[in-house]
Amino acid sequence: MSIARSGGLRSHTPELAILVMLIAAPVVLPHLGFSIDLLTRVLNWGLIGLGFDILFGLAGLLSFGQAAFYGVGGFVTAYLLVSGTLTSVWLALAAGTISAGAFGLVVGWLAVRRIGIYFTMITLAFGQMAYFIENSPLSHYTGGENGIPGVPVPVLGFGEHAIRIGAGLPMYVLFAVIFFGAYVLARRIVRSPVGAILLAIKENTARVAMLGHNVPAYKLTAFVIAALYAGLAGGLLGSFQSYMPPDAFSLETSGQLVVQTIVGGANTLVGPLVGAAVWLWLRDNLQLIPGLSTLWKLVLGIAFIVLVVGLRRGICGEIIHWWTERRTLSARQAAEAVTETIEAGGAVKPALSRERDATLPLPSPATGDSDIALEACALARHYGGLKAVDGVSFKVRCGSIHAVIGPNGAGKSTLFKMLLDEVSPTSGHVLLFGSQVTGHGVSRTAQFGIAKSNQLNQLFPNLSVRKNLRIAALARRRGPLRIDLLRTADSLPEVEAQIDAIMALLDLAVRADTPAHILAYGEKRRLEIGMALATSPKVLLLDEPLAGMSPSERAATCALIRDIAQTCTIVIVEHDLDAIFGLAERITVLYEGRLLADGTADEIRGNQQVQDAYLGGLHAHEPA
Amino acid sequence: MPSWPALASQAFNGLALGSLLALVSSGLTIILGTLGVLNFAHGALFAVGAYAAFVMLQYTQSFLLAIAVGCGFMLVLGFLLERLIIRFFYGRPHEDQILVTYGIGIVLVECVRAVFGGNAQRVPTPSWGQGATQLGFLIYPTYRLQLIAIIATLLVGLYLVLYRTSMGLVVRAGIENPGMVGILGINLRRTFLLVFAIGVVAVGLAGMLYAPVVAVTPDMGANFMAQSFVVIVLGGLGSFPGAVVGGLIAGEIVSLTSAFNSSYSEVMLYALMALLLVLRPQGLFGSEGRV
Amino acid sequence: MSLLEVDRINTLYGDSHVLFDLSIRVEEGEVVALLGRNGAGKTTTLRSIMGVLAPKSGEIRLDGKPISGLAPSAIANMGVQLVPEERAIFGGLTVEENLRIAALTAPNAWSFERIYGVFPRLKERRKSLGRTLSGGEQQMLSIARALIRDARIILLDEPFEGLAPLIVRDLVNVAAGLAREGRTMIVVEQNVAAALSFATRVYGLNNGHVVFEGSSAELTANPDLARDFLGVGA
Repeated sequence: MSIARSGGLRSHTPELAILVMLIAAPVVLPHLGFSIDLLTRVLNWGLIGLGFDILFGLAGLLSFGQAAFYGVGGFVTAYLLVSGTLTSVWLALAAGTISAGAFGLVVGWLAVRRIGIYFTMITLAFGQMAYFIENSPLSHYTGGENGIPGVPVPVLGFGEHAIRIGAGLPMYVLFAVIFFGAYVLARRIVRSPVGAILLAIKENTARVAMLGHNVPAYKLTAFVIAALYAGLAGGLLGSFQSYMPPDAFSLETSGQLVVQTIVGGANTLVGPLVGAAVWLWLRDNLQLIPGLSTLWKLVLGIAFIVLVVGLRRGICGEIIHWWTERRTLSARQAAEAVTETIEAGGAVKPALSRERDATLPLPSPATGDSDIALEACALARHYGGLKAVDGVSFKVRCGSIHAVIGPNGAGKSTLFKMLLDEVSPTSGHVLLFGSQVTGHGVSRTAQFGIAKSNQLNQLFPNLSVRKNLRIAALARRRGPLRIDLLRTADSLPEVEAQIDAIMALLDLAVRADTPAHILAYGEKRRLEIGMALATSPKVLLLDEPLAGMSPSERAATCALIRDIAQTCTIVIVEHDLDAIFGLAERITVLYEGRLLADGTADEIRGNQQVQDAYLGGLHAHEPA
Repeated sequence: MPSWPALASQAFNGLALGSLLALVSSGLTIILGTLGVLNFAHGALFAVGAYAAFVMLQYTQSFLLAIAVGCGFMLVLGFLLERLIIRFFYGRPHEDQILVTYGIGIVLVECVRAVFGGNAQRVPTPSWGQGATQLGFLIYPTYRLQLIAIIATLLVGLYLVLYRTSMGLVVRAGIENPGMVGILGINLRRTFLLVFAIGVVAVGLAGMLYAPVVAVTPDMGANFMAQSFVVIVLGGLGSFPGAVVGGLIAGEIVSLTSAFNSSYSEVMLYALMALLLVLRPQGLFGSEGRV
Repeated sequence: MSLLEVDRINTLYGDSHVLFDLSIRVEEGEVVALLGRNGAGKTTTLRSIMGVLAPKSGEIRLDGKPISGLAPSAIANMGVQLVPEERAIFGGLTVEENLRIAALTAPNAWSFERIYGVFPRLKERRKSLGRTLSGGEQQMLSIARALIRDARIILLDEPFEGLAPLIVRDLVNVAAGLAREGRTMIVVEQNVAAALSFATRVYGLNNGHVVFEGSSAELTANPDLARDFLGVGA
């Protein structure tokens, strides 16, 4: 194995740092204007922030409606306690948290289908809806604008040994313990396969789907996690101030959380906590200064704009960046130097020992009931009056390299997209070993065993080569959705073995820890193919794998494709006809959306119609 | 069951609120459609408009003059925001655009609060809008009727700008295919600047016109912004006709619901949006445009 | 001095290198055809000239003045006009509005009547929305938008793609007429015979390199010359 697996004390440095911080805070910070109550409040915001950071920092989903879940958690907990339905604060907290999660499931189900600004607007609107529901129709239960006063504090133990957790330091300790537990859990989530996939979704959503992961379900998972964290924090708020205020539900609350996260640093988990400390400290201390009392939020607003415009990482982000930069700078510079050498030389390194195909843990050539791996049956795709593809049928023999060629506008790319169900056909269907794949969408198709490498690289640019491949390799090992939040992403031995084998095959092993965006172009192309390969496909679709490559890179890639063909069936679209004639056993020629010819390389080369199509009406003689 | 006059009166309220939402949302939607930016400072700009009317009215003593000067002020504010901040965000992710406009919103609201304090201000109804008008079986405040007429005129004006001028032509073409507009020799930078400023003036005007009807506070815009999001989701993102029709529908839903049970009026609005997202996610008027 | 000189440009599409030290030049009044298989870099060449893609190195000059690096709108206002492959008609605008927006920044814009003289069909449909036009009508409108600007050099990208033979014949006649009037054009076309019927000179492209340069007559007389950049199999 090429790198050390995670584990050991070093990987728990963040947890230790948080623990030290939580213990030191009530000793040190009161001298800087933080009262104990203020610290407790900061922890409460930090707790919602943990969930929000998984949603926004990790998965890139900007919600402006977290107040809804904070409020639901808070009011359900407070109502159950004050009405006497439950006497145990702990049980009420659990009920409140679960209610928030359930509400998150409903809102998230509607919201995650939409992207970008739609997502943000929907979450904001549902936040407002929750606010108005609390305020009017349910005011009988929630007290409307008055909120719920008299929420009891938690009690530890039973009977006469029971300890009421009072205000001040005991309450701080309770919040600190809960925050620490929640932080440890959040870190496990971030490092789990789910966390890895969520990060990949932020980098390139379309590719994650194409690899076979159920993207909406993972987004929903993140949404519910964030709602649960918010619900827990809301429930604790009522106990802390023995009063559940209605403004927990307000748009202001959601906005404050967003600002705190940006100020503290997104995708750092602890960022929202630090942002909350800044926000609340400014509020409490600037208000004491005459003349500045109304300006604290203006100061924050300006700071926020500056952060969004310039310092994108926020306070913790900048610190973590500075820290990792110091440790990894030399490695990155070395990686960049390698890239420059490759690009300047224009040549790939001579292929290393190629005695690898026999040891690949890839599936052996699939032997279904038939020896036809993939079959296109009368595929057609019409755009209005334009018939991009018009009734094309062909069969791909198992274990072969099959090429699709044709002049511009012949419909190759549309056809390719239909094979993968990226584009659904107007009529016709695709069979994979005799079973229909059409109509299931691109993720399901990937799970059936069809993978595609794209004409334009679709990588996760900020992830290392190893992590890029891991997202792919996890897809078919884990299925479209698995919520394994507690295992680490690199703890599946067969996945890691798969990644190592593919990196060896692609000559990328020395680049395992290099971020994809630093790679040389040829290496990125190989990684693009490797991602498709890492899903262990039965059929691999290669869309112009040679595009943009130098002649020597082309030769190396052709050799690579031949190697891959020993373990899976390949369908290839490529403009470089010389390469195609050297590679493909069978060639399908499209012309103006229709099948023009289908045959062996020699048959196609000798076909007069094909010659005419390519020569575009320029009268062509057979070469003498 | 409410009485017919009460229902009719609520229907008029719905029309007044709806036309106001239509104006607010048009500003939001043309900025979104043309520039691709969802302006989270929209609510703050609504409040700034209301305060502009409040200040100008004290200096000029004439409501119309106050509005004219206020529009000039909003125009300049729009130009400044676009040149100084917004234009650097056209190429950035939507999330960044939302965050920066949200930040602008905070700063605007806090500036207002710093200058005028947090207490509600009163803007008097203009002299020509005092009293009530007899409409058959119901009596209705005159200014609200005038409000409907004024906003209808403004919306027609906005329609003419968007559909009958060269700039409107460029805006509509730019929503479809900004790249091709450039290839045809048109520099979209100036258009973007103008569109942003027009959007700011539209929402500012809405704030000015509404000021006599409500208490003017620094935070008065937040709820209008949330409602205008519902309106543009309803009407289809980036669609001007969608914003107008969606605004009217939203206004009527809020008002008519409150004729039956006022506690559900706002809830119904958001419930409708949830329903529409399931049944027709692209909104009433066609495509999702460029977002 | 040539009207247009493309001087050893290298252009990348995404991070894929498409054009390698590509040089072509076009004289005033000339019609030049760029031929080659798909992926050869023809469309990328036109897009580089228009400024839609910025070459990574090399220079493009119009009348000797460098234009590479300028925005497409600036290049358009110097008299270069791309008629893109996908036609890019504004579907929500009428035919006349499409023409009006094209003419907006052109100092010597043609009158609508003059355009309708070239494309009578567009006059019949002038109130129709762009999205309701047939493929042929869209192509006419797309060319008309370049003409109404009185562009000095028109870049036609696959003007005949996906059109019925009769419509192709009409469009070839229009193009031939423009060529006779001395309008400078660069045409990229899969239908080589149609392109050669009005082009004077040809560049053959393969894998982002110029591999052939000659007159149309030369190529028509000796089609074997085109085999290595158009044909199937070497």
